[in-house]
Amino acid sequence: MLKVKNIYKKYKQEEVLKGVDITVEKGDVVVVLGPSGSGKTTLLRCMNFLERADQGEMEFDTISIDMHKVSSKEIGKIRQKTAFVFQNYNLFQNKTALENVTTGLIVGRGIVKTKAVEIGMKALEKVGLADRASFYPSQLSGGQQQRVGIARAIAVEPDVILFDEPTSALDPELVGEVLAVIKQLAKEGKTMVIVTHEMKFAADVATNVVFMADGKIVEEGPPKEIFLRPKEERTKTFLRRILPQEEYNI
Amino acid sequence: MRPFSLQFLVDVFPILLPFLSATLAVVVGTIFFGSIAGGLLAWAKEGSYQLFQRLAQAYTYIIRCTPPIVLLFIVFYGLPKFCLEVLDTNINDYDKLFFVIISFTLLFAAPVSEVMRSAYEAIDHGQYEAAVSIGLSPWQAFFHIVLPQATVVALPNFGNSVISLMKDGSLAYTIGFIDLIGKGQLIVSMNYGAYAMETYLALALIYLMLTIGMEKLFLWIEQRFSRHKQAA
Repeated sequence: MLKVKNIYKKYKQEEVLKGVDITVEKGDVVVVLGPSGSGKTTLLRCMNFLERADQGEMEFDTISIDMHKVSSKEIGKIRQKTAFVFQNYNLFQNKTALENVTTGLIVGRGIVKTKAVEIGMKALEKVGLADRASFYPSQLSGGQQQRVGIARAIAVEPDVILFDEPTSALDPELVGEVLAVIKQLAKEGKTMVIVTHEMKFAADVATNVVFMADGKIVEEGPPKEIFLRPKEERTKTFLRRILPQEEYNI
Repeated sequence: MRPFSLQFLVDVFPILLPFLSATLAVVVGTIFFGSIAGGLLAWAKEGSYQLFQRLAQAYTYIIRCTPPIVLLFIVFYGLPKFCLEVLDTNINDYDKLFFVIISFTLLFAAPVSEVMRSAYEAIDHGQYEAAVSIGLSPWQAFFHIVLPQATVVALPNFGNSVISLMKDGSLAYTIGFIDLIGKGQLIVSMNYGAYAMETYLALALIYLMLTIGMEKLFLWIEQRFSRHKQAA
């Protein structure tokens, strides 16, 4: 459904992505792992054109585009099919939880307000925040804000939802509620690409794990393969460093 | 020396107050045109065109260094000459209000562009990204998400700029524009310089009221627009 080929991205002299390919089929939950600075977030941002790749091709259903020379019209088309969940939520501070969810529908897609409110309330119910609909972001906890962020993303019924480290900015005790919501979405068969550092969660929800390092994909495969029988040395050292720490958390 | 006349101070108000409309016309006209010009300057400063950026910065810098009265004279005496010689149009007979508003628009645009620019920068770019990521166009993201919040941030400083504009506006009498101050000057000279103290004191009181009113107005607007800032 969504295929990205050969992405390159450079910031000044720093090469962040050096030819990354990624394929997402309908119903997939692709989890992207890797040490910081490996280009995971940049990859995700390039896929939604929040960052402009220097080179690369994208195929989305029947649309195929050059990711560098993409027109703003094409960007708009892709964004109508995707949604993004940000590390630091990025809720609209001047809008209530419900308005945060409905703005994409009313303004972005021209859906009439009553219908949008109906969809919005359903989305908020799904993340367990229907009773907070009239609250402003400043009145919500981090975990609640991120759940509103997820509701905002699912309300527009995107073909793919991109998650950029959705729990990294949260207090440890609030991580669970957000992961539970994402897990629920995975169960419903939503197509997602998730960048995360939560290994146990990754192992639980992923249909496909991609391990990145130094701007390249080192290894990819089903979670069992990657976590239990990693082939590449780079993956092994990463997992050795991460997994023992996980045990303390549990 | 003639003693201070409280009676005159009271009597001069009804003569001065009709000219409040001229003073307010300058302020309102300048806020309108100056905000548009300031917005364009801010857009140039924030935009990606190097040339526009430099020009806008240079403009702001030059205006900052120009005394308002100098600018007023340059516009009042220079602009008609320019129009006559370059554009072959005679604007000598235009209303003085026209020249006053042009001068103060040029003046007001510079600080206001800075107010707008910093307000725009105060809004986290992530909210813009979030808006476009769920299918808003860049313009929609700006008008629905960024602008309403930037406006709230800008209001206190914008209010300050308006208040200093109102006081700078009193210089308009120097080109013969009859506003509050202009009328005050006329009253003083009609009395051969007598009652100057009373007249200027009356003007000071009127400006005090205007300033307090402005401050209250901006405070009220700010409170209306910042409901979302109240934490639980």
